[in-house]
Amino acid sequence: MPDGLADLLHDAAVLHRFVDFIEEYCKEQERSQTYVDASGLFFQYVEKLAAGIKQELGGEIDRATQFPARLPILRRNILTLKYYLRLLHALIKPAADAHTLTIPAPLIDLAAQQLQKVEGMKGSSVVILLTPEFMYFQRPHTDIKDQARFVESFIPNASFPPKLGFIELPYSQGPSFFTNLAIYHEIGHFVYEELSNFDPPHANFTALKSAMARSLSKVFGQGSKDRQAQAFAGKIIENWTQEIFCDLFAIRLLGPAFSLALVEILGMLGFLSRSASVRFNPTHPASACRFAEHIRLLEADTWLKAIKDIKPEQMKLLEKLAKEPRANYSFYLDDKRRGPDSLMHAFLDVVVPAIRTLACRVTSKAAPVVKRFDRVRRDVEDCLRVGVVPHTTSSSSHDPVSIINSAFCFYLTSLPRVLEEFEGVEAKNDVAKHSLWTKRLEMWTMKAIEDSQIQDRLRRLKGTALWSFLEKKS
Amino acid sequence: MVLSRKEILRRMRELEVSDKHNLVITPLIYKDEDDIFDADSVDLRLGCHFLLPKTLDQPFFSPDRSSATSLHVRVHVPLGQFLVVPAHQTILGATLEFIKLPSDVSGQVLTKSTVARTFIVVETAPWIHPQYRGCLTLEIANVSNTPVLLYPGRLICQLILMKIAPDHEKAKSSPNLDEIGNDASTKPDKNYFGPVYPEAPKFKDPQEDLWGIGITRVSGLKRTRLHPTKKGWRE
Repeated sequence: MPDGLADLLHDAAVLHRFVDFIEEYCKEQERSQTYVDASGLFFQYVEKLAAGIKQELGGEIDRATQFPARLPILRRNILTLKYYLRLLHALIKPAADAHTLTIPAPLIDLAAQQLQKVEGMKGSSVVILLTPEFMYFQRPHTDIKDQARFVESFIPNASFPPKLGFIELPYSQGPSFFTNLAIYHEIGHFVYEELSNFDPPHANFTALKSAMARSLSKVFGQGSKDRQAQAFAGKIIENWTQEIFCDLFAIRLLGPAFSLALVEILGMLGFLSRSASVRFNPTHPASACRFAEHIRLLEADTWLKAIKDIKPEQMKLLEKLAKEPRANYSFYLDDKRRGPDSLMHAFLDVVVPAIRTLACRVTSKAAPVVKRFDRVRRDVEDCLRVGVVPHTTSSSSHDPVSIINSAFCFYLTSLPRVLEEFEGVEAKNDVAKHSLWTKRLEMWTMKAIEDSQIQDRLRRLKGTALWSFLEKKS
Repeated sequence: MVLSRKEILRRMRELEVSDKHNLVITPLIYKDEDDIFDADSVDLRLGCHFLLPKTLDQPFFSPDRSSATSLHVRVHVPLGQFLVVPAHQTILGATLEFIKLPSDVSGQVLTKSTVARTFIVVETAPWIHPQYRGCLTLEIANVSNTPVLLYPGRLICQLILMKIAPDHEKAKSSPNLDEIGNDASTKPDKNYFGPVYPEAPKFKDPQEDLWGIGITRVSGLKRTRLHPTKKGWRE
């Protein structure tokens, strides 16, 4: 046996056992649960990869026995696989936990459909992960994809699904609906990351990047020598840019329901106090600044006009925060140390207009029509008021975004009245009943979205060549 | 009086959802209206969510407050996939359609005859009270000797609607009462209100039910754990 082969054989056997377990785990999950399409795609990839690794390890050990010169290649490949599998390992269990009984599957399906209409995102999909953190995240995937490409060079049968993103949901919020609208912001991060990898680059994304560079020049001056500070400031501008882009992206796809959901979440996390709401930090712009951008876009898209007579408290709070004068904004590097306000002002003056343009541009085909909301709202409210899943008696179904916005406004403004109607006056202050009825409203809204998707699928199929063919056969 | 197709459609399409005589069946999915509407009934489809019986950790099932939810495991089967019901097994499913019954109409759910001929029996408690709203929980039993595949989205049962005979005398006694003698405060059942998935049974403890008929001594089975002491095995 060549020198060093015994060690590598041991390493390969450990790796074999590891991937064997992962492969079996994925198969078992798929057998026992149902997943959204993207998760299925991810599991299939992992299974193929595992099978490929096992096959390759066996073959490589045989080859290395005959040709000891291959030992360094085998050693390098095993190291690469170990690193890559560590990345995947962190995704597999949270993805397995996110089966259709633990996530708002109709909302995820809707988001996946809308994503297809976003510029450059056709064929993309999002795997949902359940996280123990009480926060929504997008797992950056560029590193995983780079590694996957490298692994593919020696495990050719398993190629990472193109345009696959990963979004984390707090496990406690899995089955709820209204707060989970926040995933649209995370999908925005996924889109932003994809945009940054476009080849050739998207014209508006290039414009945004140069605006970011201009903002830095404005703060540091041309030809500044403090490279470290400039890099740090660049990272901060990048973070703020992404956050504003993701908010605007979400509003373009979802309308005011996203803003209202964000108010709920930030309120829960304590970010809406007077002092916290005007404070920029290195990772996030101030909530007041974000909401000012929300209001500007909602107004431009005519959503504000559409909901002007149904203002829930959350909307009033949002508008109040949005009106906060820019002079009150402050930038803190941490709890005590202040950052330069000039960076904040350069961001607001130079970068934010470019973000607006990019967000509107990439979503130009995906944005919902506000007029539909006007038509749907009354129907949805009438149904929810009597405890019925929103529906239509005409041949056309309501569009899901209108249903979501109508139901969210109804939840924020009319829940106490419904409680009183069905449970009596004394139930108005009953927390458990409030919680139960919120759950019901969420269930009915989700059912309405699911129904509208079924009807829509049938409508799209009718009149096609496939429909005529199936008609003849039946 | 059984409601005719015309009357069913009238109540669904012409009356506002807030009208107490309005009937809701949603979503209505069909190629042709005749696919689901008969002269005197509407066919309903199987939904995507199920409750399958669990293997219990004790040799009996006691229908009480604590154990009622321990009987089942939730399962989701998307449209296009199937669920296998083993021979002589029972499961809980639900209709794909959400129903709201008018205040003057009761309903009855029956197995579709085609389905019944495969020895799949739907519903052993088929009666639906006026004002009920929700997807209907279906008790589905495979009484055949072979496993049977169920596809969500396929027609599985039929809903027959019956108008309740008016109570003219009671209605006359007060202007606030409707033709069947209910006033505006008559509310739908709160126990099973508006479900969109099959619902597990909701029981009270046996003693809570029985004291109301004068029974104050009720037997029960308690699960205990024994451990050794100097005086022998103790709870």
